[in-house]
Amino acid sequence: MDLSKLKKRPSYPFETIAVAISFSPRCQPVLAEAKRLSDVLGSSLLLLHIGEKTAQKEQELDEMMATIGVNPNQSRVIWMEGDPVDTILKLCKLNIVDLLILGALEKENILKFYLGSIARNISRKAKCSVLLLINPSNEPQKVKKIVVNGVANPKTIHTINTALYLAKNLGVKDLTIVNEVDISGLVMAISDNSTAPQTKEIKKNFAEESEETLQTIIDKCDVGEVKVTDKSIKGKPGYAISKFAKDKKADLLVINSPDTHLNVFDRIFTHDIEYVLADLPCNLLIVHSRV
Amino acid sequence: MIKLAHNELIVLLLSISTMLIISRIFSELGKRFKLPVVMGELIVGIVLGPTILGMLYPDIFNYLFPRTGNIPIALDGIFSLSVIMLLFVAGMEVQLSLVLKQGKVAVYTSVFSMIIPFFTGFAVAWFFPEIFSIPDEKGPKLIFSLFFGTALSISALPVIARILMDMNLFKTNIGMVIIASAMFNDLLGWLIFSFVLSLTSTNSGEHLSLWYTIAYIIGFGLFMLTIGKKIIDKSLPWMQTKLSWPGGVLSISLGICLLSAAFTEAINIHAILGAFIAGIAFGDSVHLREQAREIIHQFVTNFFAPLFFVSIGLKVNFIENFDLPIVLIVLVLAFVGKVVGATLGARLGGMSKNHSLAVGFGMNARGAMEIILGTLALNAGLISKPIFVALVIMALVTSLTSGPLMKKFID
Repeated sequence: MDLSKLKKRPSYPFETIAVAISFSPRCQPVLAEAKRLSDVLGSSLLLLHIGEKTAQKEQELDEMMATIGVNPNQSRVIWMEGDPVDTILKLCKLNIVDLLILGALEKENILKFYLGSIARNISRKAKCSVLLLINPSNEPQKVKKIVVNGVANPKTIHTINTALYLAKNLGVKDLTIVNEVDISGLVMAISDNSTAPQTKEIKKNFAEESEETLQTIIDKCDVGEVKVTDKSIKGKPGYAISKFAKDKKADLLVINSPDTHLNVFDRIFTHDIEYVLADLPCNLLIVHSRV
Repeated sequence: MIKLAHNELIVLLLSISTMLIISRIFSELGKRFKLPVVMGELIVGIVLGPTILGMLYPDIFNYLFPRTGNIPIALDGIFSLSVIMLLFVAGMEVQLSLVLKQGKVAVYTSVFSMIIPFFTGFAVAWFFPEIFSIPDEKGPKLIFSLFFGTALSISALPVIARILMDMNLFKTNIGMVIIASAMFNDLLGWLIFSFVLSLTSTNSGEHLSLWYTIAYIIGFGLFMLTIGKKIIDKSLPWMQTKLSWPGGVLSISLGICLLSAAFTEAINIHAILGAFIAGIAFGDSVHLREQAREIIHQFVTNFFAPLFFVSIGLKVNFIENFDLPIVLIVLVLAFVGKVVGATLGARLGGMSKNHSLAVGFGMNARGAMEIILGTLALNAGLISKPIFVALVIMALVTSLTSGPLMKKFID
């Protein structure tokens, strides 16, 4: 497999969008959303089905594509058998997919969550950006509010730029970059040895430092006409932004791809992206920046 | 029911207030010289204890801290409660997710900074038991060697956090690696120490077999860190909104801490393990409000901690039990084991040479955790007073030198 084309490939534009087809009741709305997005972004559309290719399924897919209006000349369908997660990931690499779209439940049952569902396992492992749709619709839905993470990480600038790219193309007016300030460790450092003004000062400096870091990142971004607001919130990374997106009734949450290979321990001792995956607050875009 | 007599109650209250007020004064003075709070508290213990007050004014010493009657029993109860609370708070600081988040470098650093000092300490105690006046018999030698290895491998998270904050390294990559590794060290260290403590009581024929003890420790830890943690996580929002604030969450969290401590004590694992694991389960919850965390910390570190650390000086005469060769051996082993282990781990994890050395010296601070561990071992009859004094000195020296030595390898 020649992966040289993938290395250092920018996280946007989304030249190739892939969508996983499962023939479930949510399949048609997911495909409809993918089709609309590919039309707006001018991307080519790739339909992936992992499973046996039968005449009945083929006919069903043709009908679905016709209903939605997917142009067979501007899209490709790949049928392949194998393990759904591994096969989808392999196909995404082979076809230089920039964005993979999947339908996902807001919340999995506890056993499935720990074992890992297909959509969530792909999200953890994918080497391309992944969009998880929790309420896909056959009818167009306007994206009004986007929330993006602003954590201090080299990937963040690419994530914000990808969110801005989407915001510009989708006409989004409200984009909030959220900086999560985790001060839990501070308590132990200052609990027995600081006066009240010192404690206040330390906390203030902490918040200011993170705000400065975020501002430096925003300054480097191509904001254009998009109205961007930045917000600092206290809390555990992942959980805090997820709650913020839910409270704000955001349509899309955009976050960095995980830094490490995630396994079941990351679900037991939950952190970062696992908090978001545990209870999706809205549609989720995980940006893989390939840096 | 036995009750404190009128006079006994007065003396008890006087001794507690003396410990609290004088230790606060000393700690505030120490702060001016950038000394750790625990150092001030220990000095007060030495001043109020047999080392100074007992020698100069034995009547006052015997009046304030009598060795017979109900007062020592009442004080012992308070000191036991103090150590349980201290371990609960220590557990609240441990976030295992941070170790996973930091990935390879934190795992390597924590494992090597644990294994190398542990085996250094174990080997020296095992092959040269005469240094520590341990009888050359398999049973006592094994227990002491296990304890000594654990004592050298533990870290002091709060001291390290403070040093990193003073050096403006708290939220940097190097700071996070140190914090995550120290958390993992603490967890493993207290698990092993609880096992060693339970061996001492098994030896005296009181309770369970060795394998049952190990199974109980692992089973309890796994239960509390998975199902217990989940239950706490789900009930905290309810506690914090439906019950009086912050009283509700305080009573229930401390109640669960004591319940968990009682359970581990009942199954022959020391109460500290129950408190420590309950602390992890509580502290790791995303729903625990910062204010609640802060109140618990403040309450424990400013009431129970001074009482506990002052009590150490009351029990031991630091001059009589100061043994220079033992102090030097403990110091050298502590420095070599921890610095080499943590540096090697950080290097293997991919850090630069200088940053690895900074991690090594950063992890070397033992602070209050070492003193707690030593006190429990002394109370359990695991170690002699000279070894205890050497451990206390090692804890203070490593805490004081950690920051300046780290600084040499940063920039």
